[in-house]
Parts: sequence; C-alpha cells; structure tokens
Amino acid sequence: MSIAGHNVVAQLRFSEGTLLLEGVSSESIQSHFTGVPLKWDDRVGQWRCDAIWYSKIIEIIKGTQFRVEDLIPKQSPVDWPYIAIHDLREEQQKAVLAWMPGKKGVIVMPTGTGKTEVALSIMRQTAESTLVVCPVRDLMYQWHQRILKGLGYDAGIIGDNTFNVRPVSVTTYDSACIYMGKLGAEFALLIFDECHHLPGPIRRDAAVMSMAPMRLGLTATPERSDSRHMDLQWLIGPTVYSLELADVKGRTLADYEIIRIPVHLSTEEQMKYDRLSNEVRSYMQMKVRETPGYTWQDLCAEAGKDPESRKAQKAFHAKTAIEDRAEEKLRVLEDLFRLHSEGRVMVFTGSNAMAREISKRFLVPCLLNHCGKKERLDILDGFRKAEYRVIVANQVLDEGVDIPEAKVAIVVGGQTSTKQAKQRLGRILRKQANAKATLYEVVCAETREEQRSRQRRNSDAYAGTRHRRI
Amino acid sequence: MLTQEQGIVEFEKGRVIPDRLIQNRHGRYLGHAERMLGLYKEGIGKTRQELHRGVHQLLDDEAECPTRRIDAFCKLLDDASEFDRDAGGSAAKLRKRIFRMAAPYHPLVKEKDRLFETSESDVKGRIAAELGLPWDEIEKKLFADVMELHRLKEFPGYPDARTLLSRYNVAQVQVALYRASKMTVWAREDFKTILCYAKMANLLHTIFFEPASHEYRIELDGPASILRETRRYGVAMAKLVPVLLACRNWRMRADIKWNRGGWKSRFELSPKDGLQSHLPEPEEFDSNIEAVFTRKWGDQPREGWTLIREGEILHRHQKVFVPDFTLRHEDGRSVLLEIVGFWTPEYLNAKFDTLKMFPEKNILLAVSRAGAANLDQSFNAIIFKTALKVKDVLARLAEL
Repeated sequence: MSIAGHNVVAQLRFSEGTLLLEGVSSESIQSHFTGVPLKWDDRVGQWRCDAIWYSKIIEIIKGTQFRVEDLIPKQSPVDWPYIAIHDLREEQQKAVLAWMPGKKGVIVMPTGTGKTEVALSIMRQTAESTLVVCPVRDLMYQWHQRILKGLGYDAGIIGDNTFNVRPVSVTTYDSACIYMGKLGAEFALLIFDECHHLPGPIRRDAAVMSMAPMRLGLTATPERSDSRHMDLQWLIGPTVYSLELADVKGRTLADYEIIRIPVHLSTEEQMKYDRLSNEVRSYMQMKVRETPGYTWQDLCAEAGKDPESRKAQKAFHAKTAIEDRAEEKLRVLEDLFRLHSEGRVMVFTGSNAMAREISKRFLVPCLLNHCGKKERLDILDGFRKAEYRVIVANQVLDEGVDIPEAKVAIVVGGQTSTKQAKQRLGRILRKQANAKATLYEVVCAETREEQRSRQRRNSDAYAGTRHRRI
Repeated sequence: MLTQEQGIVEFEKGRVIPDRLIQNRHGRYLGHAERMLGLYKEGIGKTRQELHRGVHQLLDDEAECPTRRIDAFCKLLDDASEFDRDAGGSAAKLRKRIFRMAAPYHPLVKEKDRLFETSESDVKGRIAAELGLPWDEIEKKLFADVMELHRLKEFPGYPDARTLLSRYNVAQVQVALYRASKMTVWAREDFKTILCYAKMANLLHTIFFEPASHEYRIELDGPASILRETRRYGVAMAKLVPVLLACRNWRMRADIKWNRGGWKSRFELSPKDGLQSHLPEPEEFDSNIEAVFTRKWGDQPREGWTLIREGEILHRHQKVFVPDFTLRHEDGRSVLLEIVGFWTPEYLNAKFDTLKMFPEKNILLAVSRAGAANLDQSFNAIIFKTALKVKDVLARLAEL
C-alpha cells in the first residue's frame, strides 16, 4: 500500500490520552489533515494530537484515499439487561430529542427536573460503552444505583480507592482527569454531570484526553464566574437544550419559602467571642496605626513570620468556630425538629465538626466524607423510607445528590456562595405533591454569618426571604 | 509527599525557591523537630487532631513559622505513623445500630413534655445499657473512622530530628515541582538510574549530548507536553527528586508556571545544594563481573585505551541503551563494551534486538558461555567462561 509516496501503511494509535499517527508524510498532514492540530513529536517519531480529535481524524480518513490502519481497540455496544426507566415528561423528551442528532452537547435543566432520567434514556438509546463523570463520590454511587435500577447494569467504579473499569463505568472529575490517559480509548460516550465543573485548567483533561465521539453535559448552572464555560462548546458540544428555573417553579417543582432564624450566642460563648473579637480588632487597629492601609490579607501574609499576627489569625478562626458551633443552634434545631417531626428534614452544616455535633446530639445519621458506600446507601435508603427523619450533611449533598421528597431543609450557618445556596435549594424542590418546601437558615445574629446570609438574599432565588424569631 | 496546600515557595528574579530549613538560620528547628518526634512517640492512643494541635502549640512562639510549614510537619509525621483507621468498619456498624435504635424516638428533646415523651438522656441511657458501655465510651467510638479522629497506634517515625528536617526540605522541593511543565537533567553519571526511573514515572525523554561540557542533557516531560503546556506530569517529576539526589554528578532545572497565565519561573537543583535523599546511592555495577573487570583494568590507560563506566547513552526515540563501558582511545576512537552475564534467553534476545537498533555504533559484546548459544553471528563478541579477561578485550580492540 502506498501512502503519499511512502510504502508503508499509516497507523493510528492511542497513547496516554493522545493519538499517535505513524507513517504519514508532513506534506500529507498539511494537505489533508487541516483543522486537526497534529504536531510532529520527535521524541517518538510520530504525529501526535489530543485524543479529543479522534472523530475528526476518522472523518478525514474516510474522505480520502488514505489507508490508515486504526489500531485503537473498538468498544462493543452494550446490552442492557433490562429497561426500567419511567416515561419521560415532555421537557425531558425534548431534551433527549435535541441531543440525539449531533450526539454532542450540553443540556441545561434546573436541579430536580430529572436530568438523570434524560441521561439514562440517552444511554439506553445509544447503547454504547459509557463513562459517567460526577463532581463527588456520593453522586458517583448514586449514578451507579440509578444505572443499576434503570438499565439493570452493574457499572464499574473508578475512584474512592476503587479501580474497577467496566464498559459502563462511573467516576469523579478528579479521578477522570488523573486516569484519562489510561481510559481515554475505553468509552464511546462520556456523560459529564454538573458539567460546569469540567472547564477547570486540569479537570478539562477529562474531556481533552478522551477520544469518545459522543458527549453529553448536564448542568443547572452552566455559567462560571471565570467565563470558561465557553469552552464547554468544544470540550462537549453546543448547548442543545435549556430549561430555565423560572419555567418550572411552582409547576413541576414544589414552591418554596425561605425563613431565616437568627440565634444568639450563650453568655459564655458571647464572652469568649467578644474577647477574641477584641483581640483581633485591637491588633488590627495597632497595625493600621503603624502602617496605614494595613489589611487582613497583610496580616495573613505576615502570620508566618510573626507569632503575634499568628495569634490574631488563630483568634479569628476560634471566633468563626464559635459562630459555627453555637450551642443555641442545637436548641433551634430541636424546635425545628419538633415542628417538622412528621416529615423529613435535611440539615446542612458549615463544617464536618458541626455535622457530627448534631449527629451526636440527636442521634441522627450524618453523611460525611468518611461514610463508605454501604453506610451511605443505608442512610439514603432509610431516609427515603422515612425510617430516618433527619439526615445531616456538610458539602456531600451540595449538588445533584438525589434525596426525593424532602420538603424541609435547614442550613446551619454555612459559608456558602450564592451558587451553592441555589443548589441546596434545588435539593428540596423535588417534584412532589403540592406541599410547599421550606428552607430555614439558622445564623448567629449580628455576626459575619448574618452578613453572608444577607448577601445571599440578593440572589434571585432568595427573593422574599422572611425573618422569624422562635 | 506533601499536598499542594502544604507547600511554601518564594520567588526571586524568576526563580522558584522552595522553603528550606538551614542550620544557621533555623537552628531552633532542631529542637522543635525533636519535640515533635517526642510528641508523637508519647502520643500513642491520641487522635490525629490532638497530635496536630500539639504540633501547632509547640510552634506557637516560634517567630518564623508559616501555618503551611506546621501542616507540612504534621503530614510528614503522619506519613511515618500507623493510625488505627478502623479498617474493619466497626464505627460504621456502631453508628448504624445506634441511629436505628434512636430513630423511633425522634426528636430527642432536652426536656420531655406531653407531645414529645423521649428525652435525649433517656434514649442515650437506654442505648448505653443495651450495649453495656458508658455513653462517653460509645461517643468516643462513634466516629473512630473519621480521618482527624484516627488514633495513633504506632510511631516508627524518623531516626532523628535531623532526618525529619532533611525530609522536610526535600518534600518542599517536591511540592514546588507539582507545577512543573518540563524538567531538564544534565548528567555525567548514573544515566541508567535516571532514565529508568523517568520511564517508570511515565515520562518521555529527549536526549542531547553537549560536547562542550561532556555531559548529557535529558529533557523530561509527558506525552501531551508537546501539544500544550501542561502540569499534569509535575507529580511524576517530583517523584524523581529523591532518585536524583541519590545520584552523582548531575544538575537539574525545572520550568514552572506558577499561575495560569502567570509568570514563568524556573527551579534549579544540584548535589551542591546539599539536600539528602532517603534512597541509597545507585549500585555502581550491575554485576560482579563488571566490578572485577573494572578493578583488573585499573585507572590507567592500557595500550592507549581508557575504560569509562556508563560513558555513553545510545538512544532512538524512546528506546534507550546505556552500555556498561566506553573504551576511549587517545587517538579519539571509541568502542562500547557491553558485558552480558547469565540471563534468560528472552532477556538476551531483547538485548540483542536493542543493540541491532544502533548499527552505526562500534559495540563489543562480552558474553558468558551460558548465553552464547543464542548469540547472533552478526555481533562482534568475546565469549568468556567465568570472568572477562583484560587481555582478551585488548586483543580484540587491536583487531579493530
């Protein structure tokens, strides 16, 4: 076989997240492979590009006289043992139909509108080797469960100290970007859940180093403050379908109300708090007198070289810890648990320590990073069946983790940004009967926590927050 | 190895300077390190959290001590510790049991009333009675699997305070390299070790000989590095540091881009920096045959030929071969000598295949009788019985 004057057969291989093309002259690269950033790699004596260009290269090869031997092992289609997916709602069907023709693209749907169902339906129809990439391992396990229930397939798990690769697997962004050099040729379809996480400088390798021709992104909030979401266009594909939160509020989703409950520190806590505050304040004042324009950032920078600055820094952290774990919060929680003793309540805290504190006080399970797969499933399952009335979590449930039918959520003074708060809200706005959902925010009165909460109210989702003292 | 968050670096005129504790500036740290080791030695049964707080307190009055440095020490101490991680999952089982027992009584109120008849203390008392343990004990076990609550079981530790400090210094160099996009090593010795570990770390090499300084320049990066600047291989490069530190006669430079779109910096290291590796020096000889032959040959030239250990790197793309010796004649000629001892036929065939990739080279093979059966006639070879004789080699050199 003669290729552009050479008596060799060109060969295409996958290598550590990149593609290697061997036996093609540089003239042929220039005349035929325009649009593909192939680079001559003298280290190996072959042409190289990122694996993401695979479909484009195949397209070019098909359209020319070239005989390129594609040495990349082909993945066989997947047989689903059984199908048990609910009928899709109208907007879900539209989302699937919008993605199918190009088989590359992002679907934007608010939390709680059934993104997972959409993805499962796409998996079912494509029936290809699939890797689902999720932000946290709880979500990964949840996907594992959903795939098992919906498609009867026991997916492989890559991450959380497990490396079990199967034709259909679930993983996290962190594991995906570390292992994509190894896994980049294993899957035909990539599903990026909460895909606004993908465009980070390192994490994007999860898309760049895979040759999967089919890609699906799912998110409720595609925008990023650094505007890198523009990159989703080439990492996954165009936005093919978009459903706004306003479109579904009060229709598919339960309506919601936000109630803020300020708590006060106990006398003892207040004394300690004031002492620490004074310590920080007087130190800062002294420094500002010495150096006008001195800021907290300056203090943090100095803390390494100055034990006094370090003490002020530690005093500040101790202060924050008092706010975080104020005793009064436990009392307010008791009141709220009494008030909602019939329903299910989800509690979000600002720290793992506070989550354990609540768990120990009320003997309710907490979902934290240390929970293994089995315990996690037991807790979520118990909550679903209302055997557990309350579960406590720190950030684990921040995004996407499915907790159906919870109508009440309590945020206990977390340092949350607007986006996180919106996602936490989404968590309790499940498609349910008409019961109104409530989000309580328990924050220390007149402290930094309260300021944060006030900032948060400026966001659209929080419009109309009510204050209540109990 | 440390995490990125435990790393401390400074910048000076485009150079990255990792945190380093040195005798005359940080003499006090020798005492600190001793006390830290003591704290862990006496800390059996304490939680990670308690131990870390202890380390923080030890350094409370140290004038120069960033929090990251304290955290780095905690990590190094933890790395040399054995914690009870509750691997059997007994904490999880206990939690499940207790939460299930308490669930029907939710909510556990402080003061019971007509509406809610179960108080926190009642339920906890009942559970404690059923488990036959005081509640305090139960609470202590309830989260024994949480990282910061793991209890110290054993502390193999470090031999002495000085070792801990030297591990700290190397660890900080490694963190600085996590963000490296390329590493260049100039070497005059120990090529085999350097290239072998680079390969094991999945790095790709590009090798140049620099005649002016008579050294090899080995550029290391990863597959995707020619496509875009990437820090994906920084950790692999960091892993090479202890290997390099154990070698002789090298220097290294790493290209580091600190922030995305930020400035480019470099980091340089050589044995002159005086960092200590915890690894032993590479073995000087692969086998005893080579060691004996070197001794017999001696330091002086014989019939104009000087014997140099691992003097040349043969390379084509990612295939590398470092012959055991280079014989260099006064008149400028050079011959490579590779000694093949007692090995499996597969090993020998692979070696012969590699050698065939470099037909332009003058390679002299010394093969033991045991391996000679597989020998390809195309090689210029000397067969020896148990030891390679100098006079046989000289005789063959004279024929060339």
